[in-house]
Amino acid sequence: MKNINIGIDLGTTNSGIAKYENGKISIYKNPVGFKDTIPSVVSFRKGRIQIGEKAREHSATNAENVFSSFKRKMGSDEEYFIKDLDRNCSPIELSSMVLNELINFAQGESLKSAVITIPASFDTIQSNATKKAGYQAGFEEIVLLQEPIAACLAYSNSLQLEVTSEKKWLVYDFGGGTFDIALVNINERDLKVVDHKGNNFLGGVDLDTLFVEKIICPKIEKETQESGLWSKLIAKENTTYNKLFFELLYKAEEAKKELSIKETSNIEIDFDELDISLDIDIRREEFEVIIRSKFEESFHLMEKLIKDNHLRFSDIERIILVGGTTYIPYIRQQLQERTQIQVETSLDPTTAVIIGAAYYAGSKPSELVEEEILNESKIEQSNIQVETIYEPHSKDSEELLVFLLPESFDGYYRITRSDGGFDTGLLKANKKIAEFVPLLEKTTNQFTLFLYDHQQKQVYSNNSIQITNGLYSILGQPIPNDICLELDEESGKSHMEIIFKKNDILPLKRTIYKTCSKNILKNSDQKLIINVVEGNAGSMIGSNLSIGYIEICGSNFEQDLLKGMDIELNFKVSESRDLSIDVYISALDLEINEVFNPHQRKVSIEKLTSEIKNALDAVIEEIRSEESTENYEYLAKLKRSEESLSVLYNEALENKNDALTDKKHQIDELKKIYIQEFDDIIRHKHVLFELDEYNNIKNSLSFYIEKASPRQKEEFEKIIKNEKEVLQSNNKYLIRKKNKELDSLLDNIYHNREESYIDYFYYFRFEDPSVFKDKSKHNKLIQLGEKAIDNSNLIELKSICHQLYDLLIVKPKRKDDFNTFDGNLGIK
Amino acid sequence: MNTIINQLFEIEKKALEQNIDGFDRNLKRIYHELEEKGYKIVNPLGTNYDERDSSIDANILNANSKKITKVIRPTIYKTENDTFQLIQKAVVIVE
Repeated sequence: MKNINIGIDLGTTNSGIAKYENGKISIYKNPVGFKDTIPSVVSFRKGRIQIGEKAREHSATNAENVFSSFKRKMGSDEEYFIKDLDRNCSPIELSSMVLNELINFAQGESLKSAVITIPASFDTIQSNATKKAGYQAGFEEIVLLQEPIAACLAYSNSLQLEVTSEKKWLVYDFGGGTFDIALVNINERDLKVVDHKGNNFLGGVDLDTLFVEKIICPKIEKETQESGLWSKLIAKENTTYNKLFFELLYKAEEAKKELSIKETSNIEIDFDELDISLDIDIRREEFEVIIRSKFEESFHLMEKLIKDNHLRFSDIERIILVGGTTYIPYIRQQLQERTQIQVETSLDPTTAVIIGAAYYAGSKPSELVEEEILNESKIEQSNIQVETIYEPHSKDSEELLVFLLPESFDGYYRITRSDGGFDTGLLKANKKIAEFVPLLEKTTNQFTLFLYDHQQKQVYSNNSIQITNGLYSILGQPIPNDICLELDEESGKSHMEIIFKKNDILPLKRTIYKTCSKNILKNSDQKLIINVVEGNAGSMIGSNLSIGYIEICGSNFEQDLLKGMDIELNFKVSESRDLSIDVYISALDLEINEVFNPHQRKVSIEKLTSEIKNALDAVIEEIRSEESTENYEYLAKLKRSEESLSVLYNEALENKNDALTDKKHQIDELKKIYIQEFDDIIRHKHVLFELDEYNNIKNSLSFYIEKASPRQKEEFEKIIKNEKEVLQSNNKYLIRKKNKELDSLLDNIYHNREESYIDYFYYFRFEDPSVFKDKSKHNKLIQLGEKAIDNSNLIELKSICHQLYDLLIVKPKRKDDFNTFDGNLGIK
Repeated sequence: MNTIINQLFEIEKKALEQNIDGFDRNLKRIYHELEEKGYKIVNPLGTNYDERDSSIDANILNANSKKITKVIRPTIYKTENDTFQLIQKAVVIVE
């Protein structure tokens, strides 16, 4: 036998749904937006049915088509005329629509049974009407539960209270629009509402308007020329003031929330139309003064309830809070002080009833026939054939979705976007559905089409509709090679960072931020070099084509450019392949903008020479390290490379001052070819080396990772997240960067362990004593340290190591000193 | 983080209203960093209000109101598992 498990709070102002599973309650979140609850509001406008937040938006301006608080009319013969449908709707129908919207929260789960809460005041007819709404929403089994009981269940289960003797509790329910107070009898886990009172027109919304009327308006009037502001705000057809009213209402609600946790709050009003620019401070006491009368109304009802039942406050064991308004500290404090009863504040009062309903549902066996329950997990998907037509890649901000439905289909459709930012609401479905849907930029937008029958019951869904915006394009052309920026890596070496990847679609635009890697003094002839190259990001820089080159000379500066200062770079490549580089150095307020196109290639002979020199050094280094391997074929290739590069290097030096001929272009061309050849010889080996390095570090890390802090573990996961992509990139720079990140993490984890101080100590112990300042102190510390190691006293050893470090005359370089090298280019 | 983004948004708004253009770059830089951290911040000011847009809480001034003329706070999305999720709805006035 299965339990019901689903609990629903069908409230006057807000509703919500939760599920009981393995002893835990989970509240279903609204897939559109992210809240736990939705306003119990339905709107019918131009063929569109909206339920919840979007429906409520129209309540002020389009009241005749927006329906709320229909719960108050449950069980009456009152009906609402729906202009858009040209017929009447009963409160039951409207409630069933809200229930259906809640069922949608469970996305795809088939819900057949539910516990729905009702106010303690509901009579038999009203209760049956609620049941009927549940059946209309497609439930086959409905169990009703009184709201105060649900709240008590939520608290007693969450607090795991054992009630052994009979107790009386008060449930104080101050919601958005209504107030209820109930007296509940509780014994050995049996709960019963003894009596209740309520006011259907007393709620949190009233407090917000009071806040605007009694606090904000007088303050604005005091500071400006405005008078009679409140009546202007609420007057009809006064757009400017209505606009101000909405803004003030929103700010009042925010301030109200803030005053629940802080003693003061601040509201800033900038309203150009009325030339109001003010900062208003509000103290909690001011707010308390204005809500006092509303609280007194509620308290009066509570006193009356106690008196009518011939009780005193001392007969009550605790007060259970329900509804968002009970967050207000003044209310909690007054309840506590004036009744001397324990006030329960441990649960979120806005979801207490939902949680209680789910607890009850979790203990209540379903009476549905077993067979049906067996089918429960299967999503009912009827065999509706829907043809879907759309463009999967788009450059526009919206796209057209077209669905062709079978002739026979009669019902509603709805389209939502998975990030929660788009929802059509319910619309009547025709044979052909065409809907323009908005797209989020530069991401894949996933849409879901839902089809519903006339009872608003879901009969079809398709969530595989994906439209990618901006990432691909059908019209654009891809770039044939990576476009990279040359950056300093460490002294004398540089590497390439990809700005745009091969096959990215033109036009392209990107901003990146880098830092300056050397000091460039004003009026000096030192230069900052921005070199943008096109080619294979994994190869040597010199083998690529320089497509944008800017030298910024110290002589242009009004101030010194110092290491560590920010450099902002904006890159743009147009469809006709013009590259524009915009460099901005905020510390100097210096902006340089240049556009390059292939006809105007700039070649700097100086830069050429240095690239050839670097390559030549690399070849010589490689030859030296390989000489012992006797791999003659490989060595011969390297020697050839060395020869051609050194001839070219000399040529470059000779033509240093040639400003007239094409010589430097020829050298540039040869340089690319030679370096490319050299790169081809050694790249594979270097990549392998870096891969080996990666695996070694990762192996060591796997040993130490369990000793890492949670943050370090998180960092580790982050570093290795895209490892597959990096390791397969064939790009040694990328792999080397990963290696450095891993290595630095390993280092941190290693040195964070207290055992590492033993290594430190031995380092100091075998250091020449002359590098320490105070010989006798040094001797003593060494002796103490040895003793500490013998006694395994790592804490003492730690302190000894720190003292020894202080004694060092010259402090050793820090491990991260490689970050402080002086670069060649000046940018890293 | 939402509070920080909202404050940033206010600063930007004020700078614009008071014609202070001195910290354009700084704001751009901060927004860039936020984007790198997976946030997408959308300011719907000046666009036509789409009633299907559930990333917006609208205060609609009258039945014919169409344009978003004031944005009290922006929409914020955050990437989770490589897809965007709405984490704050914009609050706007439509007139």
